[in-house]
Amino acid sequence: MDKEKLQEIIDKYDTESGKLLGILEDIQRTEGYLPKDSLIYVSKHLNVPLSKLYSLATFYSFFNLQPVGKHIITVCMGTACHVKGAPHILETIEELLGISPGETTSNGKFMLTTSDKQFTVNTARCFGACSMAPVIRVDGKIYGYNTPKKVAEILKKYGWRGK
Amino acid sequence: MKIKTLQDLENVRKAGIKKLFPDKPRIAVGLATCGIAAGGQDVYEALETALKKKGVNAFLTKTGCFGICNEEPLVNIAMPGKPLVILHKVQKEDAESIAEKVAKGKLPEEKALCKIEEWDHITSEKPFFYGKGYENIPLWNEIPYFKPQKKVVLRDAGIINPEDIEEYIAVGGYSAVYKALTKMTPDEVVEEVKKSGLRGRGGAGFPTGLKWEFTKKEKSDVKYVICNADEGDPGAYMNRNEMESDPHMVIEGMIIGAYAIGASEGFIYVRAEYPLAIERLKLAIKQAKEYGLLGEHIFGTEFSFDIRIATGAGAFVCGEETALIASIEGKPGRPRPRPPFPAQKGLWEKPTNINNVETWCNIAPIIKKGGEWFSRIGIERNTGTKVFSLVGKVNKVGLVEVPLGTTINEIVCHIGGCGIKSKEIKAVQTGGPSGGCIPRNLFDTPIDYDHLKEVGSIMGSGGLVVMDEDTCMVDTAKYFLSFTVDESCGKCVPCREGLKRMYDILEKITDGRGTEEDLGILDELAHTIKATSLCGLGQTAPNPVITTIKYFKDEYMEHIKNKVCPARVCRALIDYFIVPDKCKGCTICAKNCPVGAIDGGPGLIHIIDQSKCIACGTCMDVCPFDAVVKLSGEKIDTPDKPIPVKKGR
Amino acid sequence: MKKTVRIKINGKTYEAEEGESILSVCNRENIDIPNLCFNEALAPYGACRLCMVEVVNGPGKKGMTTSCTLEAVEGLEVVTDTEQIVKYRNVLFELYLAQAPNSEEIKEMAAKYGVTKTRFAKKAKPLDPLGNKCVLCGQCVRVCDEIMGTAAINYIGRGFHTKINTPYLEKNDACMGCGACAEVCPTGAIQMEDIYDKRIMKSWSGTEVKLKKCKSCGRYFAPEPIAEFAYAKLDPEIKEELKDLCPDCRRKLLSRKEILISQGEVSKNED
Repeated sequence: MDKEKLQEIIDKYDTESGKLLGILEDIQRTEGYLPKDSLIYVSKHLNVPLSKLYSLATFYSFFNLQPVGKHIITVCMGTACHVKGAPHILETIEELLGISPGETTSNGKFMLTTSDKQFTVNTARCFGACSMAPVIRVDGKIYGYNTPKKVAEILKKYGWRGK
Repeated sequence: MKIKTLQDLENVRKAGIKKLFPDKPRIAVGLATCGIAAGGQDVYEALETALKKKGVNAFLTKTGCFGICNEEPLVNIAMPGKPLVILHKVQKEDAESIAEKVAKGKLPEEKALCKIEEWDHITSEKPFFYGKGYENIPLWNEIPYFKPQKKVVLRDAGIINPEDIEEYIAVGGYSAVYKALTKMTPDEVVEEVKKSGLRGRGGAGFPTGLKWEFTKKEKSDVKYVICNADEGDPGAYMNRNEMESDPHMVIEGMIIGAYAIGASEGFIYVRAEYPLAIERLKLAIKQAKEYGLLGEHIFGTEFSFDIRIATGAGAFVCGEETALIASIEGKPGRPRPRPPFPAQKGLWEKPTNINNVETWCNIAPIIKKGGEWFSRIGIERNTGTKVFSLVGKVNKVGLVEVPLGTTINEIVCHIGGCGIKSKEIKAVQTGGPSGGCIPRNLFDTPIDYDHLKEVGSIMGSGGLVVMDEDTCMVDTAKYFLSFTVDESCGKCVPCREGLKRMYDILEKITDGRGTEEDLGILDELAHTIKATSLCGLGQTAPNPVITTIKYFKDEYMEHIKNKVCPARVCRALIDYFIVPDKCKGCTICAKNCPVGAIDGGPGLIHIIDQSKCIACGTCMDVCPFDAVVKLSGEKIDTPDKPIPVKKGR
Repeated sequence: MKKTVRIKINGKTYEAEEGESILSVCNRENIDIPNLCFNEALAPYGACRLCMVEVVNGPGKKGMTTSCTLEAVEGLEVVTDTEQIVKYRNVLFELYLAQAPNSEEIKEMAAKYGVTKTRFAKKAKPLDPLGNKCVLCGQCVRVCDEIMGTAAINYIGRGFHTKINTPYLEKNDACMGCGACAEVCPTGAIQMEDIYDKRIMKSWSGTEVKLKKCKSCGRYFAPEPIAEFAYAKLDPEIKEELKDLCPDCRRKLLSRKEILISQGEVSKNED
């Protein structure tokens, strides 16, 4: 991430409250993840040990440390979604995109990216759109009342060309 | 303009009234997150185009969520002097015909869900009267979903435009701030809240007035108030809707609280998963500053107060007060032991008062109408209303606001209209991962802090997830544990290690490897974790397991003894079969099976090779003839090898 | 001067400083309470949950709580080993035995309280830099941050996946190689080794710290950053003299100086 933009983000925060997380969130929103050199830059400019930033980045599930695909698909794993079949929806998406669950990242976060870097699949603990369960979110847009069939149609909208 | 006097407020109110009751039709589209997801934004845009195209003189605007989520998108239309009519399941294709009818002064009655002739915004001087008419459309509180409801918190939701401060002021908004700041001392404000009996809506139900008093008593140059909007319970979304549909009511409550306590700065800690709520809160704060309702010398008094937004970054534990504070301070959200309580040492070691979103939402009505008025709603020791998100396996889903003390049955069966597709409802889960599953035979339990505790659950933030015969209670317990294992901060041993061990045992049971001894170990772990964990997360995390073992022990025993999952959910215990009489030999299932476990061919009866099958259920999803069945502990007769489908079927 | 208060522990009355932690009082009075995350030099943390006591009387809340975070106030009365405490503590010990199966210290402590077996699967991460001995009490993280002001290591992740290491699991140049982490570790989990001119923090992603060579005897004696850290606090004149000397040579130099002073050949530097 370029230094000017980074500095701009840092300068936006004029008080300590909410600052560190705010900066990290802004970086992630811009880049899709937290690049290592950005964390090092923030560490130096705010005089915060790198270990503290890394600790924050791995504690909060909002952050990714790896680059993500072009489209991010988030499957809601809330209670309402769970009882209405969210695990099956997740499985369907994995199967359609040809990615296997395999290993989650070492800090226990679930995140998978297709080999062509078009899609990243992750999960969330609840979007609060429970009335439309099961719910998924693609690039910020929420889709409700999902079925395995419907999911395939949604993926097509984002350039998925079938198995 | 800056509002300094009552006259200023009155002038803005009049301007707002003109928007709510324009001299032309007012069309408002429900645009909270759920409304948008259901297609509300498209409807809004289509209406905009259609009205323009047809040259219709109408006022198109947006509103929040009226709470009946499976009828969305909702659009409400008010013709001057006529009832406000709520249209449901409106699609963008309907825009043209709506515009046409409105142009002729008519309503698309076939789309009408209900009408409102009179509406009490609680904070306004008197209820608003829209008008009478439309005999064929039922009154809103005549339809079963709304009949038992009482809207205090959701007083403006789905009626006013949440992005317009003038409309909020039009319905009496900020008049409670005026009253508190100019006519009441901080002590009197605290007294009024105490009198109301309001208890914290975040879950534990601590008396709000008492909490305020603790922080008020502390001597400090700086004090803070915080709104906990880190709504983390999966299956609960009332706070999101309150912020999206009526953000100013949160701000108004916080201003009053800050005045009572003596705080000069406030924070709203919102989870990053709620971008629209954050956007609307930011806008509301900006507007409140422009109108002088936040900032220096509010209403020309000595009192100054400002609010900032801090965003959470995905950690359920940050709903815990000390973890939330750590998070705002830029640290990982690991709770610390209490005492000292935040009231003594909170944010940056300063006295801090934290209340949940919905608690703040109740403040303006309490100040405006009096604690006495509030205390008459609900039942003794559990006053006021509570907003619940009724979701899961129930016919009508949405946000339901009822007086505390309403029974589960009333909510699930009368408001929710019971199970989907005549499935038998088995339980309702309240309180999220800290709560419990309450079985059907206890549905006459009144929902309030004390009764829920008696049956082993808690109020939590108000999520009500309905479960039916297709929900496995062992799987549900495992689901909640997987949640808390992931969301535990990892600081203390019982929560970090103990919950994982409980999860492992539950997994063993759902895999069909469980023993009766495991139930004993689960129980021992559950009670150790409850008694020894550092914070509320660990102290309550075993509740879903404890309550399911207590009320659904037979289901556990089926898994353990007979290796059967009665709800047919636990994958290791279920088998899929193709019913020979129903199979038409279309080959779709075989083509879609990810592991090649289905043998067959065109015109042949297909057979699942049980040794290869991974029970993913894909065949069942894709079969056009419903020929695939899912069984646990049973099997059906199938041919040894694919044989031709009988002709003539 | 803080107020002295009288508290009761297991029925016997003791004096304590107001606000002092009950665990400190117990340690002083030889009342046995197991603990893993407590350290007098650090702020109370309340994570290991082993030091539970039951408050039976006093101005605050009654019931079980951790003694490390419980402050002494007049009239406080606690009991340290009720049947309930023992029951829960034993389960916690089982959890510890499963979490850190290779730690002799944990085995010893648990055995002392009668727990020698665990019903839970023992952790056996093959390449665990902490040798399946860490219980995440956080003393190392806290001493590195609170005392040394370095924060070279920290928690990574959360919940069951929490671990302690350097950021990105890479060698970290913030580490001064002071070894305070290994010193405070109650389970003997942290490995470090001095090899020729380097100190290798084996548990911390192999972080290397240069050692200072003694200008007199040529031996490598202390991590460079620690030596600099210490010199910075010394009087400039003494610093010049003692700089770059290993403890042995420093002692020799000082005692030689003492002798010379006593013989009146050098005037003692006093101003």
